[in-house]
Amino acid sequence: MKFHFQHFLKALLLGMFTLFFANLHITGDITKYVNPKYDYMSKMAAIFFFVLLLIQVTRIWQEKHARHACSHKCNHDHGDSQWSLRRIVSYSIVAFPIVTGFMIPPATLDSSIAANKGFLLTQDSNEGRGGEERTSLLEGAKSLVEKENIDIYSSEHIPLPNENYLSEEEYDGKLQLLQKSESIHMTEDMFSTYYAEINDNPKSYIGKKIKMSGFVFKEEGLASNQLVISRFLITHCIADASIIGFLTEIKGADTIQEDTWVEIEGVIEVGNYNGSDLPLLKATSLNMVEEPSEPYIYPVLKLLGK
Amino acid sequence: MQSRQKRSLTIPTVLLLGILFLISVPLLMKSTSLTLPSSLPQLNTIFLSILIEAIPFVLIGVLIAGFIQIFITEDHIRAWIPKNKFLAVVMSCVVGAAFPACECGIVPIVRRLIGKGVPLYAGVGFLLTGPLINPIVILSTYMAFGNDMEMALLRMGVGFVAALVIALIISILFKSNQLKKDKGISHSERKGNKKQPFVTRIREMLNHSIDEFFDMSKYLIAGAFVAAFLQTYVSTQSLLQLGNSQFQSAFVMMALAFVLSLCSEADAFIGASFKNVFPTTSILAFLVYGPMIDLKNMIMLLSVFKAKFVFVLFILITCIVFIFVNLSSLL
Repeated sequence: MKFHFQHFLKALLLGMFTLFFANLHITGDITKYVNPKYDYMSKMAAIFFFVLLLIQVTRIWQEKHARHACSHKCNHDHGDSQWSLRRIVSYSIVAFPIVTGFMIPPATLDSSIAANKGFLLTQDSNEGRGGEERTSLLEGAKSLVEKENIDIYSSEHIPLPNENYLSEEEYDGKLQLLQKSESIHMTEDMFSTYYAEINDNPKSYIGKKIKMSGFVFKEEGLASNQLVISRFLITHCIADASIIGFLTEIKGADTIQEDTWVEIEGVIEVGNYNGSDLPLLKATSLNMVEEPSEPYIYPVLKLLGK
Repeated sequence: MQSRQKRSLTIPTVLLLGILFLISVPLLMKSTSLTLPSSLPQLNTIFLSILIEAIPFVLIGVLIAGFIQIFITEDHIRAWIPKNKFLAVVMSCVVGAAFPACECGIVPIVRRLIGKGVPLYAGVGFLLTGPLINPIVILSTYMAFGNDMEMALLRMGVGFVAALVIALIISILFKSNQLKKDKGISHSERKGNKKQPFVTRIREMLNHSIDEFFDMSKYLIAGAFVAAFLQTYVSTQSLLQLGNSQFQSAFVMMALAFVLSLCSEADAFIGASFKNVFPTTSILAFLVYGPMIDLKNMIMLLSVFKAKFVFVLFILITCIVFIFVNLSSLL
């Protein structure tokens, strides 16, 4: 029996990957990296890594001769060959994300990333990449409401075909509630939907009260009493984050630092920015708050069946 | 004999180095974290999020690659692939379209297939349509563009035709398999393997998957890091100001797709957000080009294929996608 150091190293790394992925779910940090809707993928990864770890452990001690069925002709690295600088670099690269992953706690995206993504307000009519995406989903929803308008009130008596349909109705119900209600609370679950709707038809929401929280983001060209209360919208993972937010007016906005988390209450008005209408919040109160445990907004993918 | 002696001497040295590395890096991180700019944790978070998103797909990819290695023989491949070049390309594109993969998971699969004797052009067809055309991508594109099938259909149609043409040109330009030399040695020892019991072969398959994972993941990690670095420090806004005409904006969107290295399942939403900034053609360019080649993917391809081939493939994809996307606006 011979101890294979490279196989040992691979087992060690696989073990660390297993721990890393398991740890993400145990601590709940996974939501800081990917949309929780897709967290089953990373759970699956943790299980795969564990299975591979079990296999790899058996390779650490092996008979000298029975290493591998194709050890001399195979076209990839079985870890039997000699050490070289190249190999050390390879293993270091594989170890790198695990090391930084355990050492550096996940950060919440901040205004510097938002500035790179840019064009929150400078875009033509529809600001915020996420805004549009929501809008488009919403368009479908609206037409569904129209089509099935009659059914909505009688739906209690009809057995529902499946859960998706129910969530569709719930979604539409919430949307109707938004259109009727006098004060709007931008909760995390409906944030993107409400945002898109208000953004799309700011005029029909003039005078309504609004309550929302987000981080402060400032773009060039804002007046001294203006700031943007923003959130990041995550479709799949943090790398595809887009920024959405409302232009807000409050006295002393220039004294509030970027990236401060605030909760505001205010009234919706329509403002003009770079020649296009957009909702403008006149804040009546502003409180500094702690960064929420779930700082990101995830789109409602009700049409996917979620 | 001498080399064995040498190795046993170097192992303790390397062990020492490895342990030193594993200890020193975290220490270094901790001691400097107070003075590090705040952008570094941001960079790290984006970097890890790309990896966490991609690694499950890579794992599936290496498992399939392991399966191909152990269970599929060159005889199978010879029997399945049509002799006619054109038919082979069409077939590979159709198989790729039916096969749900993402652009990082497909690289180890293609490498294994070509190693098993699949002609290069068929491998390329599969490589290009695999991540671009699959049910999840179609669904997300359909949703991102307001439950409108037009963009999803355009994406599939233009993408499929472009992939066909690229694979055909590759079949004319390259005769050999273009795998890197040390990786291109063909397998002829499979016959003996067939006699082994099923459980042993499953183990063999998993062994291969593990080695493949370590082979591939370092390139994925490097690619993810570069992509995260660019996202953190380079403003995409400056890029967008370049696109004025239809041609320019198509190029800008393709550059953006290349740099962002998004997963093909999530890019439709990002693409849709440019609806009001750029014409449909440019967004289509973004949607077709990104899954075919991007930064992360290209670094992985460079690990498998000769640099010259990857370069030619990159130029080809860029030109063909650009031409076809612009032609589609005439439809």
